[in-house]
Amino acid sequence: MHWNVVYNNFGYLLMGAYPKGPLGGLAMTAILALAGIFGAFWLGLGIGLARIARDRRLRWPAMAYIEVIRGTPLLMVVFWFYFLAPVLLGKTLPEAESAVIALIVFTSAYIAEIVRAGVEALPTGQMEAARSTGLSHAQAMVHVILPQALFNMIPSFVNQFVSLTKDTSLAFIIGVNELTKAATQINNRTLTAPTEIFIAIALLYFVICFCLTELSRRLEKHINRYQARGRS
Amino acid sequence: MAYNFDFGQVISGEYGQWLVSGLVTTLHISAVSIVLSLALGTAVAVLRLSKVRPLVWASAAYTEFFRNTPLLVQIFFWYFGSYNVLPTAVNDWLARRDFEFACGVIALTVYTSAFIAEEIRSGVFSIPKTQLEASRACGLSFLQAMAYVILPQAFRVVIPPLISQFLNLIKNSSLVMTIGVMDLTYMARQIEAHTFHGFEAFTVSTAMYLCISLMVSLGVNLYNRRVLHARAR
Amino acid sequence: MRKAAWISAAVCLAVLCAAPFATAGKLDDVKSRGVLVAGVKDSQPPFGYVDEKTNQIVGFEIDLMEALAKRLGVKLELKPVTSSTRIPMLAQGAVDIVAATMTHKKEREDQIDFSITYFMTGQKLLVKKGGGVASAADLAGKKVASVKGSTSEQNVKKAQPGCTVISFETYPEAFLALKQGKVQAMTTDESILVGIRNSDDNPEAWEIVGDYISPEPYGLGLPENDSDFRDAVNLALMDMWETGEYQKIYEKWFGPGKKDHLPLTWKMELWP
Repeated sequence: MHWNVVYNNFGYLLMGAYPKGPLGGLAMTAILALAGIFGAFWLGLGIGLARIARDRRLRWPAMAYIEVIRGTPLLMVVFWFYFLAPVLLGKTLPEAESAVIALIVFTSAYIAEIVRAGVEALPTGQMEAARSTGLSHAQAMVHVILPQALFNMIPSFVNQFVSLTKDTSLAFIIGVNELTKAATQINNRTLTAPTEIFIAIALLYFVICFCLTELSRRLEKHINRYQARGRS
Repeated sequence: MAYNFDFGQVISGEYGQWLVSGLVTTLHISAVSIVLSLALGTAVAVLRLSKVRPLVWASAAYTEFFRNTPLLVQIFFWYFGSYNVLPTAVNDWLARRDFEFACGVIALTVYTSAFIAEEIRSGVFSIPKTQLEASRACGLSFLQAMAYVILPQAFRVVIPPLISQFLNLIKNSSLVMTIGVMDLTYMARQIEAHTFHGFEAFTVSTAMYLCISLMVSLGVNLYNRRVLHARAR
Repeated sequence: MRKAAWISAAVCLAVLCAAPFATAGKLDDVKSRGVLVAGVKDSQPPFGYVDEKTNQIVGFEIDLMEALAKRLGVKLELKPVTSSTRIPMLAQGAVDIVAATMTHKKEREDQIDFSITYFMTGQKLLVKKGGGVASAADLAGKKVASVKGSTSEQNVKKAQPGCTVISFETYPEAFLALKQGKVQAMTTDESILVGIRNSDDNPEAWEIVGDYISPEPYGLGLPENDSDFRDAVNLALMDMWETGEYQKIYEKWFGPGKKDHLPLTWKMELWP
């Protein structure tokens, strides 16, 4: 086995050429994932609310957006933004930016569904009670429904973040220098240790994603206990 | 920058055939992987539910590891990395076959089976515990009770989430183009390289994926309405 | 759904026609920016690859771009490209110039322009020694590895229609497939094959065989219809050849005694 290849290049896997060159490796993966989840949360929240709006002019486009994005492979979305968006925009997007946008657009459709499910899971009495105290529909949504729904949805958001972290590996295909790309660069140069390199980066991804998954499970238990106490 | 749209070139003639053959490959690799991942996922779930400690741990480690690593990395591992760990005879045997395709099937199967195992496990949890106890009391062994009593009921509950896993598998199969399986995405990229009409090729192939997804989710909705609601009544 | 795709494409077309055709000269662009953005390979020794010690991209084409940037009086910025991304990236303006082992082909002229030839090679086969493949004719019924978006995959299919071509993202991946016996040969330009073979622990186990399947003159990829920029690049290349700077760079990477030795057997086209 050639574990020394992994050992010698571990710095490159973690940070890329930074600080002497551009940031890459695992650090880039983390940036893509964080930027992606931040954007996807707000976009997904907006689309999810539009999806459950009573106004058809909001509901139908939101539904179409969710169905189209969820029916398309992420790789296709990535290609669309990378190769084809510039044809339409008339200017190019750097690889990392276009990857983040693709990840945001893709993940937001799934977040929108989480938001919808979370709001619909609340008892309708909540909305009725809020309205009867004189709040408008929008006010009731913002001050009463969403705070409860979002709280209950935290575990689902964390799970979506895990998916997103795994999905950042696709950015490699359009040349973003993240962890998978760093691994293939090293693999392409050495050609002697593909097994070791890919096991090493699988473990790196695993550590991050597993910790997040555990966190989501703990939160879920915590939230369930909290709700059970409220009910009794 | 000027860009001439030319859908005719992409949907007819040689390039149209490429897309169709890509679609066939996508459906083929998905179908094989769906069958295998269902079998493997069920087996892993049963191990997890057995009361034998080492089996439970092995099964838990399997699902956690494969769920929490990117499919793309797993594909690369199976394609480039498995060579050094497999015996020479197996490597030679694989090399004589359609290795890219086999590797894609292995990666998709293993990845998806981890998710399927979790779905089935939660399906089994939704079956009252007394069912297992009652069937054990009737003299069935654990495996018999699973096979004849618990799993048939659990499957009815988990069919919708399972189908959405299968749908994920079909969409995920686009990643196998990275190891040279000539699926729909691969063909779209080939057409782009040959004609520089990527826009049209990607539009048509995206539409194909969408058609598959929409048909499947339509089917799930029908199933939900007919079967689950009928039972609830 | 097909219909929706058509409609969306029609909308896109309308947007496209409305987009202004703003094309300031690339040369002014580069000079005012002070930076030349060059698309180069990052996985292809000795043309462009990530150096193990410094983690920087180095290679023959990088030195060539460095010399060009110096002549234009600007800094150089490198952007990794692959065979399938280099033309779209150049056409979209993500890079100013492409120096990525790209063969000057007629059909590519629709999308981009080329400089004069800066490297001359030809397509051959890399096979395992004693593996029973000595020329393209032996490839019938066998699997050949190549790279997406390259000319090699089309050429070898023409030379031997009976073979299956499997395309990868980069050449080292194709070579790994060959090493692991998944394909019986890999095909591309001789200059690349030499570098690939020498990157192996045991280069003697591999040989480069056959006649040239096709000639492969490399040209720098340049934006379509920008003759000022093209002239500047061509004149800079000729200047490098005449002053001996080109030969110096060539010797550094392909000279005698170097790992990837390849004698300089051709002459650059020089305008009087």
